Amino acid sequence: MTVPQPIRHFLLRSYPIIVLLVLYEMMTRFGLVSQRLLPSLVLIARQLWRGLENGDLVHHTSVTLYRTGFGFSLALVGGVVIGFAMAQSRLAEKLIDPIFTFGYPIPKIALYPAIVLLLGLGSRSTIALVFLECIYPIAIHVHAGVRSVNRSLVWAARSMGASRARIFARVLVPASLPFLFTGLRIALPLALIVTIVTEIIGESEGLGYYITFSSASFEYARALAAFVVVGVVGFCLDRALIYAGGRIVFWQKSISIME
Amino acid sequence: MARLVNWGLGLLLPAALIVLWQYEGWRNALPRYLPMPSVIADQWLEMLYSGELFVHAGRSLFRALTGFVIGSMFGLALGLAAAALRPIEDFCEPLISLTYPIPKIAALPIIFAWFGLGDESKVIIIAVSVFYPLYVATFAGAKVTTREHIWAARNMGAGRWRIVMHVLLPSALPQIFNGLRVGLALSFVVMFVAELVSSSQGLGYLITFAQDNERFDLMFVAIVTIGIFGFIADRLLLVVRRSFLAGYLPAAERQ
Repeated sequence: MTVPQPIRHFLLRSYPIIVLLVLYEMMTRFGLVSQRLLPSLVLIARQLWRGLENGDLVHHTSVTLYRTGFGFSLALVGGVVIGFAMAQSRLAEKLIDPIFTFGYPIPKIALYPAIVLLLGLGSRSTIALVFLECIYPIAIHVHAGVRSVNRSLVWAARSMGASRARIFARVLVPASLPFLFTGLRIALPLALIVTIVTEIIGESEGLGYYITFSSASFEYARALAAFVVVGVVGFCLDRALIYAGGRIVFWQKSISIME
Repeated sequence: MARLVNWGLGLLLPAALIVLWQYEGWRNALPRYLPMPSVIADQWLEMLYSGELFVHAGRSLFRALTGFVIGSMFGLALGLAAAALRPIEDFCEPLISLTYPIPKIAALPIIFAWFGLGDESKVIIIAVSVFYPLYVATFAGAKVTTREHIWAARNMGAGRWRIVMHVLLPSALPQIFNGLRVGLALSFVVMFVAELVSSSQGLGYLITFAQDNERFDLMFVAIVTIGIFGFIADRLLLVVRRSFLAGYLPAAERQ
């Protein structure tokens, strides 16, 4: 009886995950911790199944994904436009760059209560905050990316008679793409965090709300099931971005999070 | 002179916004929930002099910094250990790469249920959030240590511990500071959110209180204070970084 190679490899690599899960299960089974606070994995799985079956989890997940995706897309467009504007025009750089460099470390989430007053509770406030939080890393990285384009590439294109538009599309954009993806990889988890945070603070829909609501009604297995879904969503979004990055910026070996 | 012009241009947009805001306030054209900048500034100064601001800000800072210190110590230690010892790396890597992209803050309500509504839960969730960027940065930084440096140290008779502390750690420092910067920003965000959800003191609480009592000037005082904190903490870290990394940084950044 032999285990196929890929499966054996997977088991060997991921053994710590299995070890931890087994440890957790044993802790709850042997009553070392409160069963209600730390429910068994079986209970969590059952809640997960039930949530998927009756559509609750599906609904809240789709709300969270919609807000994250909408805000992130807006920030992508806005960040790319502002980043390019700052890199191309001296005046734009002088006007806007301080807002981005000095505003970067200010926690934008603090504005949430003010945004809620302006736009009301609901998806609009969340999307606005996601946009605000994500536009910073994207714009900053696009700016740095366009700035770092090798001057001789631009000169070469120009001396071969390329127009401004052509240089923009064929030289500047591709050369700054790896930077854009680094910015996106910082921004995407932020988008999900901000969405869920606003849902925890004051929403009536979405995964963050569902987790808060479940633990407030002492349904910890359900809260943990929802947290598992949050984990899966976060993991898949990140992997999808890495995959897209690998296909689009195929000449770059890997997209790092840390510069 | 050119510097002055640059500064002026940089301040132009924010200043224009504030002037417009103030002007609208004088015309009484602002909605009730948007107090004039001058009113907010007055209230901010008043709370500064009465010491009330220090109570809330101190509480918030205490939580954020405790969590930040604990989380970054763990992240740094484990990151170094994983870079130095193969079995630890094999154990940690799958766990971290699986859980890294998960927004840890979603566990906040569950953490509150497990550890109560007090400072403990807040410090724990901040520490967990800060741990990740520190671990990833330290591990990545220590992992790319030049082989020759390790060989040289070993040749000269350095033990494992000495190599970790005197070769791996210094070569990971630039990355570690990147991680610290991310973690510091994160600790303020998580602190603020945790306080909004539940607390009886702190800047987040101040906002909840202000909303419940329709004291919108108080709300903006808290928002402004958190912004100032985030900004100052980041600048301080950059100053520390500059003195620590004096030999590493490109001349342009050293100034």
